[in-house]
Amino acid sequence: MNGYVEAGYIVILGSLSTYAAALTARERAARLRLGQLAKPAAPKPELELAVSPSVGDTVQNSADAPGNETEQKGPEAAS
Amino acid sequence: MSTDNVDLARDRAKVALRSLGLVALAGVIATVWLGLFVTPPDEFMGNLVRLLYVHPPMAWVAFLAFGVASLASVLYLWPRTRAEHFDRMAGASAEVGLVFTGLTLVSGSIWGRPTWGAWWVWDPLLTTTALLFVLYLGYLALRRVPGEFHVRARRSAIAALIAFVDVPVVYFSVEWWRSLHQAPTVLNPTTHKTYVHGSMAWTLLLGFVSFTLVYIWLVAHRYRLAKLHDLEDSEGLEAALVERRAEASVG
Repeated sequence: MNGYVEAGYIVILGSLSTYAAALTARERAARLRLGQLAKPAAPKPELELAVSPSVGDTVQNSADAPGNETEQKGPEAAS
Repeated sequence: MSTDNVDLARDRAKVALRSLGLVALAGVIATVWLGLFVTPPDEFMGNLVRLLYVHPPMAWVAFLAFGVASLASVLYLWPRTRAEHFDRMAGASAEVGLVFTGLTLVSGSIWGRPTWGAWWVWDPLLTTTALLFVLYLGYLALRRVPGEFHVRARRSAIAALIAFVDVPVVYFSVEWWRSLHQAPTVLNPTTHKTYVHGSMAWTLLLGFVSFTLVYIWLVAHRYRLAKLHDLEDSEGLEAALVERRAEASVG
């Protein structure tokens, strides 16, 4: 082969790679400026579920809770 | 559409674009390998024929890109289909097309030096291709002229259609005028014959497909970038208005 063939391939592939890299870099920079990449990760819903239905909440807030029933009916049963 | 569905669609688009990029890259690597190491040298051109596995695909993609830009411009100008995304698509496709036109000229020049003995000749095909490059450079410059969005988009769309007139002139220039450049070898419009066969034809076909995929990938990224810039502009305008209102209320 001669140098012309290699030069042609290098020019084409080099230019397209440079253009593609520039586009993706500019896109990333624009996303950073808009805050689309800097968002903190959202908390996972499983973790919230694991914490929220606590035993204390059920006893304090719900009149129908089995524990409350027992406590309310306790004195009546005794009398 | 709920936020979850939007996120899902965005994730799918991201995966699809990444997959497209990988397929395009694999295609280009295969084209280069076949073009440089597998296909035989030509009877008349010798090893210089290897440049023709990448030079015609560059020209094809440039024509395709300008065709897409023109179609998007027509859709923008047509009142029933007028939408901002057609203007963005026209701009994105024209910019990528300009890159491919530049590469068509450079790769053709590299091929022409050992074949014709000159880097450049004022041949009808070369001259009209150079004119095409300048026309779309002007189109991209026009897009940057400040103005109200729809006024700017409308004048850009008209300019894109004017520039596109040169595309058929470039293609048929080898038929219309005495040209140093050879006539099309894949599908000759005069003889209706194909002058490339075997592994050479398959490599050329792979080159056309691979660089078309590269074009789609580049346009998708350029379109997204244009959308982000529009979003930045609108957010900047909103912030400036808020600031101005705050100043007015203090005053």
